[in-house]
Amino acid sequence: MSKRKHDISRRQFLEGSGAAFAVATVAPALAGPLSAADLPVTEGVSPGVPSTAIRLVVNGAEHRIEVEDRWTLAELLRDHFGLTGTKIGCDRGECGACTVLLDGKPVYSCSNLAVWADGREVQTVEGLAHDGHLDPLQQAFIEHDGPQCGFCTSGQLMSAKGLLTRNPHPSPHEVQAAMTGNICRCSNYNHYVEAVMAASKNPKTSKRASGHSTASNAAAEVSATKRRRGASTSASTEGGAR
Amino acid sequence: MSLITRKTVGHPTPRIDALERVTGKATYSGDVHLPGMLYARILRSSHAHANIRQIDVSGALALPGVKTVLTHENCTVVWGSGSVSGGRQYIDEIKKTTRQKRYVFNNPVRFFGEPVAAVVATNRHIAEEALRLITVEYETLPHVLDQEDALRPESVKIWPDGNISLNAKNEAEPEVYRRGNVEEGFRTSEQVFEDRYTTTYVHNAQMEPRVCVASWEGDKLTLYTPTQGTSNCRHDMARDLGIPDEKVRVICKYMGGGFGNKNQNQDADLIAAMLAKEVGAPVKLELTRKEDFIGVHGRWPTTQYYKVGVNRDGVLQALQLRGYSGMGPYRKNSGAIGGVELYQCPNVESVVYPVYTNRAVSGNYRAPEFPQGFFGIQSMMDDVAYKMKMDPVEFVLKNMTRKSNDDVPYSNYTLEDCIRRGAEAFEWKKRWHAPGADTGPIKRGAGMSFMTIRSPLGQSSAVIRLDSNGRYTVFVGVTDIGAGAKTTMSMIAAEELDVPLSSIDLVWGDTDRCPFSVGESGSRTTDMTGGAVIEAARDLKKQIAEKGLPKGENALIASASPNPTSDGKVRKAFGAHFVEVEVDTELGRVRVLKYVAVHDSGRIINPLTAASQIKGGATQGIGMALHEDLFYDRRSGQPLTAGYYGARVMTHLDAPEIEVIFIESDDGYGPFGAKCIGEAGIVHAVAGVGNAIFNAIGHRMKDLPISRDRILGVLA
Repeated sequence: MSKRKHDISRRQFLEGSGAAFAVATVAPALAGPLSAADLPVTEGVSPGVPSTAIRLVVNGAEHRIEVEDRWTLAELLRDHFGLTGTKIGCDRGECGACTVLLDGKPVYSCSNLAVWADGREVQTVEGLAHDGHLDPLQQAFIEHDGPQCGFCTSGQLMSAKGLLTRNPHPSPHEVQAAMTGNICRCSNYNHYVEAVMAASKNPKTSKRASGHSTASNAAAEVSATKRRRGASTSASTEGGAR
Repeated sequence: MSLITRKTVGHPTPRIDALERVTGKATYSGDVHLPGMLYARILRSSHAHANIRQIDVSGALALPGVKTVLTHENCTVVWGSGSVSGGRQYIDEIKKTTRQKRYVFNNPVRFFGEPVAAVVATNRHIAEEALRLITVEYETLPHVLDQEDALRPESVKIWPDGNISLNAKNEAEPEVYRRGNVEEGFRTSEQVFEDRYTTTYVHNAQMEPRVCVASWEGDKLTLYTPTQGTSNCRHDMARDLGIPDEKVRVICKYMGGGFGNKNQNQDADLIAAMLAKEVGAPVKLELTRKEDFIGVHGRWPTTQYYKVGVNRDGVLQALQLRGYSGMGPYRKNSGAIGGVELYQCPNVESVVYPVYTNRAVSGNYRAPEFPQGFFGIQSMMDDVAYKMKMDPVEFVLKNMTRKSNDDVPYSNYTLEDCIRRGAEAFEWKKRWHAPGADTGPIKRGAGMSFMTIRSPLGQSSAVIRLDSNGRYTVFVGVTDIGAGAKTTMSMIAAEELDVPLSSIDLVWGDTDRCPFSVGESGSRTTDMTGGAVIEAARDLKKQIAEKGLPKGENALIASASPNPTSDGKVRKAFGAHFVEVEVDTELGRVRVLKYVAVHDSGRIINPLTAASQIKGGATQGIGMALHEDLFYDRRSGQPLTAGYYGARVMTHLDAPEIEVIFIESDDGYGPFGAKCIGEAGIVHAVAGVGNAIFNAIGHRMKDLPISRDRILGVLA
């Protein structure tokens, strides 16, 4: 184990992951008290266990961290960076709940070792919102009632994000094919496909894809979401994409 | 039927917690991390049936980081809801009188995957390693997997009482329902038909595997666990641990589905609580996906023998079911087989044997007794219609139930509307043809199925507080399994209080903060807890009228625990599904081309989330019809397909478009006339797919799943 490179402190971690937690500053507070899961987790490596120092970028922030060689990327993100938006549904590469983007491509983070992320860039669901406003996919997921239980949602979002980045205007069948590695046992597949199709038609999606950040007001977007909650009459209940 | 337009109820509304769900901020039980928390893992039986001669845990205890190990030798706690006589899971008294008790760790072990030991260590990797250092000496016993085989005299007795599961009175008797006289009915029938149908074990397979975090402060336990019923989980934990209810706090803020297998307390909750007590630190117990598949429970497999008598006009004269339900080695639920209640018939007999086997335990999975029973009986009836040369829709319209058990009136009745509306939207007359008539290697076919499902009223509670800032805080014991109960409860409160939805705050999922709730199972939350919210809102409005709005530091608090009835009438939701499939007769592959689901679940509170429920239910039903199966090796008694790939659950590419049509009605009961919806979409989906396949290929598929190999088998 290399002590020399084991140089991340709790303070550095918190500073470094500022971008990851930026969503919380615009998202409405959860009802109820601050839960234990909102506290960052910084468990280190166990003594005597083979470990490696790696550098990786998570949601735009660079980290150096000593990881046990046996940790999966999902474990690193959840237990050591506190990014619990990434879910573990099967831990064996079957369900897709743990999907994150690794250098822009969707991967199962349960089936990638943390050390393999050395020198690479990871994006999780916590990094989807930009400058305080939701990604068009997140907005579409809300409007089309994509998440039922929500446990597969982060993975669905990241697969969809990977798809729209490489193919901004997919057909419904291309959406299904790209996301078929993401199981939704609530089986809300119709709504997920509708949501991705809606997001792909959102002009903001193509702007984002070309790296253009619009100057639109973050607060306006969040308050629009609140208004929709208040008395929505527009969302479609049936039919749709295919 | 047109209902009056309301301000909030009836409008498609995104979930109040949707933002948390799409930003990764929603806190599920597995996301909870407490300071000093340890990790636990369970060692499970590698035999289907065996006596444990000896367990040596010394190797595990010697591993640095391991804190303690529990086995049947040092833990004798009874898991009350793990085995209940008669499967009456909600009746506390029966848990005390149940003779076939299930311990947290049992000896003998009675199924592959039964807990043998639990280890707690400083991290999950050490806990996993410790499991490998435990040596168990088994004396293997014969096992039996099939529910019919289990009743053969030569089969091993899994319990000393035999393999017929004991009923609520601890008697080894089947569940029996009779009206009229079936023997007489068959004698006077013009034609009598007999057949056998089977359904297999399918797992709930909810996305969130079971996980819990237990933490003790003094003598009070806090349990973060995914449970559909915080109230019943708390009471179960307190009873099993021998402590008062108020010494248990159950918290479930978000949960990743359950479809019935996260109700009440589970053995994992007890294990985590006992380990945490033992080591004096918080403990997180995580189940792997495979453990979740074999260690919790799924839908009971069934064998169904039907005998049906009709007169020359195709009107039912007698209907007989002899059924066998495989419960695994413990009774968690009734093992009933639903379906005979769907038909109007003077002479009916249903005899169902809940049977012990050495498979994984059976229990609640979304409409526990219906999809398998509706598949059997509606396939049978579809076949009778065919043999009587009748259009299946005409046969159903002639024979479907019009009063509950031909006796008690329904609170309202829209089954016929559902069927006629569905037939029209689906263009039944155009799509349905003589079975197997389609030429060519790819054959199309159309099928239909229908349903009624219980939608009872009952007791639940709600509290509403109005503060001087104009915020209404609604306290309900729901957990929001994914059906959208938090949003539904808020909408009901906003509607009754006549305030915008944005003035409602909701407190949920915490037994120390919320009143009793019936739990999110049996499609009861909207009806029962929603009813309590309305009662509390009415009380609050009365208080406001009397005392005025609260000012300064004052607040008004209203509460209600109503237990309404439907005045002796039977409340049911109704529905009809119409399915068109395409069967590739060379590959055996089935694709669903068109699916129309017509439902009357009374007033639809939130059309957006209600559509999700029906679409999801129907899609799960298609998976059960076509490919889902927890397949066992008969010789070793080991499950071979415990996982998503193996059990072949539906994926994006499998899922067809489901067209949902709601026929809304108001029977004068329930919140604004709402009835049950959560289970309504799945119950008849399996039967509809099966009937469409028959229409396509002209062969009746009598065993689930209707997999490619089976289709190729009948066509060979």
